[in-house]
Amino acid sequence: MEDLISAIKKVLEQVDVVLGWARSEAAGVAAPAFFHTPAEAEGAIFDSTCVHNLAVHLPRLADKKAGIVAKGCDARSIAQLIAEGIIKRERVTVIGVACPGVIDVKKAWRCFGFGKRVSDSGGQVAMEGKTVKREEILLRKCRGCREAGPVIRDVTVGEVGKAPAAPADPAGIRKRFAAMSFAERRQFWQDQFSRCIRCYACREACPLCFCRDVCTMQAHEPGWSGGATNSSQSWMAQLVRISHMAGRCTGCEECERACPVGIPLMLLLEEQNAVVEELFGYRAGSGTEAKTPFLTFDVNNDSWEQER
Amino acid sequence: MIGFFICQCGTNISATVDTGKVAAAAAAMRGVAVAESIQYTCSDPGQATIAEAIRGKRLDRVVIAACSPRMHEATFRRALERAGLNPFMLEMVNIREQCSWIHSDASEATRKATDLARKAVARVRHHTPLLARKTAAVRRALVIGGGIAGIQAALDIAAAGIPVTMVERSPSIGGNMARLDKTFPTLDCSSCILAPLMVEVKQHENIELLVNSEVDDVHGYAGNFEVDIRRKSTCVDEEKCTGCMICQDKCPARAPDDFNAGLGSSKAISIAFPQAVPLIASLRKEHCRRFNGNKCRLCQKLCPAGAIDYGQEEAVLRRSFGAIVAATGYDHYDWKASYPTYGMGMYPDVVTSLQYERLLSASGPTGGRIRRPSDGAEPRQVVFVSCVGSRDESVGRPQCCSVGCMYTAKQAVLTREHIPDSQAYVFYMDMRAGGKDYEEFARRAQTRYGTLFIRGRVGKIFPRRGKLVVMGTDTLAGDQVEIEADLVVLATGLDASAGAGELARKLNIACDRNGFMTEEHPKLRPVEAASAGVFLAGACQGPKDIPATVAHAGAAAAKVIGMLARGELEASPMVAAVTESRCAGCFKCRGVCPFGAVEKARLPDGRPVARVIGSVCRGCGICNVACPPGAISLNGFTDKELIAEIVEVLKPDVGYRTLDFG
Repeated sequence: MEDLISAIKKVLEQVDVVLGWARSEAAGVAAPAFFHTPAEAEGAIFDSTCVHNLAVHLPRLADKKAGIVAKGCDARSIAQLIAEGIIKRERVTVIGVACPGVIDVKKAWRCFGFGKRVSDSGGQVAMEGKTVKREEILLRKCRGCREAGPVIRDVTVGEVGKAPAAPADPAGIRKRFAAMSFAERRQFWQDQFSRCIRCYACREACPLCFCRDVCTMQAHEPGWSGGATNSSQSWMAQLVRISHMAGRCTGCEECERACPVGIPLMLLLEEQNAVVEELFGYRAGSGTEAKTPFLTFDVNNDSWEQER
Repeated sequence: MIGFFICQCGTNISATVDTGKVAAAAAAMRGVAVAESIQYTCSDPGQATIAEAIRGKRLDRVVIAACSPRMHEATFRRALERAGLNPFMLEMVNIREQCSWIHSDASEATRKATDLARKAVARVRHHTPLLARKTAAVRRALVIGGGIAGIQAALDIAAAGIPVTMVERSPSIGGNMARLDKTFPTLDCSSCILAPLMVEVKQHENIELLVNSEVDDVHGYAGNFEVDIRRKSTCVDEEKCTGCMICQDKCPARAPDDFNAGLGSSKAISIAFPQAVPLIASLRKEHCRRFNGNKCRLCQKLCPAGAIDYGQEEAVLRRSFGAIVAATGYDHYDWKASYPTYGMGMYPDVVTSLQYERLLSASGPTGGRIRRPSDGAEPRQVVFVSCVGSRDESVGRPQCCSVGCMYTAKQAVLTREHIPDSQAYVFYMDMRAGGKDYEEFARRAQTRYGTLFIRGRVGKIFPRRGKLVVMGTDTLAGDQVEIEADLVVLATGLDASAGAGELARKLNIACDRNGFMTEEHPKLRPVEAASAGVFLAGACQGPKDIPATVAHAGAAAAKVIGMLARGELEASPMVAAVTESRCAGCFKCRGVCPFGAVEKARLPDGRPVARVIGSVCRGCGICNVACPPGAISLNGFTDKELIAEIVEVLKPDVGYRTLDFG
């Protein structure tokens, strides 16, 4: 923790603000924190309760110089934001941290009771005397983590470098889903989206959904999706959002984590990411110079006609 | 109030579509005040019917179900305008190419035409009046390339009083035509008819000639291009050089002779050929002794004009142009790697057709006497092989070079004229002699000049006892043929000239699968490139002979003159527009725009938003797709219009709920 705090203090000498985590009084896990001064930085922590992808705040800090504490998955989002020109590389200082994987808060609360404060030490997640192994309540993305460390980082805290050998579909969800018939899948999504309350937490948590106030999910004009909270319109709205993520989603799973009604959005996104990777050989967030397939047009490379 | 007019197009449409029935169905659609079936809508009486209805029924929008909008949209827009309506309050439905011509079942075709009509009526309700914008245009044209195409285009544009800058990358203009000996089918001397035009370019008061120059970068848009032109360093002051050739005579460094297609040799400092325009020397540093560690300064010492400047540096000029003509021409295909059975260039007496032109030419390395390269002997048996790198799927080149048959016939004729007791053989695939007097000429090559034409491909060429054995098939006789030749001439196919692809990228225009620049429409817009203000002249658009090149270049010049004559350009209003209040400022649109039409702007509150430069936008709609919040839309193709269409067309059978995932 001292390494992290001193790294933040050092970075603070050159930037206006550093995004990180602090112990929260109210929430069950760590809370995102903005450190402006070395004194504030004393409260910085990093452990498996630091679930949030802080890159979501960067587009709104585009006019400031910002530092950010980033896990491997967060760094991908930052890289993609830079590749798309949403934020500038020279304005962001990335403090890459070695990440043990972060916990699924909903699972933790199922173990310890809703809203309880959870702490993490030495591979054991604990609360008021009860403990559980960290591995047992990790988020799905962490169980399938392929990151060898943050793809971009200016400062590194902890030991990073080796990519964990993780299964591609740790919970077997995609496999189970692929076995379903078209009618079953349709029914599945109808059921899932019937719970949607159109709170747009998915969008707010997504670091690459930067449209915010002008988001098409809420637009009456031209109105590709209606605004009602019925399954069909919520589904259409979400599909519009997901199609906007094609070739951009870095798989940070924030949308699914933020969803208060537990719609498995990553199922759709993971499928789409797999298709993009297969067709274009592109994984979002791989680098700051990468060209996102659907956001690139070259009149001389428009070779679909030749390939047929 | 919507007017609906359906065209019978004689029987083109009415034979399969019951136009009366469609009109009756349209009459019942919401907002339709008039629905009529007209025999020929595009005719004067047809247009009069529409104008009358617009005035009489106070229509404010019109749907016309007829042919492709490509055909007559402009016609009907003008008709609307004459009747006092905004021309963009028109929606056309293609029920000919996309309905009557492709269906045979009359009732099904009528049903489809009705569906398409309903879709158009739904869409036209969302049309808004659009106004064409005008922008000032720079009255100067850039011609890239100084071959016959560029020369013709430049002279024609300059003759209309519009200043022209011609950029040529080699030291002289003239291009490939300057290297040809005679031209088919009249056997005019090529350089005799070209040289006066080259001189005219040099002397024309409206033409600025920049040789040894290349287009570095192109910015801007139709009417206002900013072009960076790189002037290469040749160590010769163009103003001072008189073309006396003393430097060339005395230069001790040998260098390859590009003008003579590699036959013979030249000097490190040289004038490409005697008729070069401008007649100035240029120095090739890679072959010069001084630039390769020696102390030689011979040319500088001997130059009577003091024109040699070893320290001359590259310069980049920036110029403004209203229009650009690409006239970059062609290169001969490099056959060696693809035809191992022809010796891959190992046999000196297997030459290309361009090399043979130089052997025939009086200004060539042999002074116009045909001498084979290996031993300088006069050949008696000359074999011509057509379609080397043309029409040959086995080397991945299916295209026809379009000139090979004729220039081969010409070279066979010239062979007999040069060496009366010689015999020419031509291996050909098909004799393509489509031009005026071409067939007669090709026939004369056989009858009067005794050329033997053998229909078939050559399988192998190999040396035997000082001769080259050409083995091929005579497909008409169904037999194998073996000819002992003294010289073999390969009619190599044509490629777009080296660097054409790179230039096309700078000009934002596309190239086809063979590397030639793509015109906007293969029949109706043959000289316009897809980028506004860029025109194509000659073989850069596809292989052409000289008459076709001259005609093509003249057409390109006419388009440039037409565009720049008025001093201002009228741009289509069907371009992208940004609803700034809904723009997230992510500039995805800027990233995908093929034309550089999107710029960054700031609202008074400091928020960055995208802004479309209307005169650059070509209305392709790619930005619409890329825009996440849907803030950018294409005038005349708004999401609202498209949604209305989709909803309408899905209504009867499957219903809106399908789109809605219900």
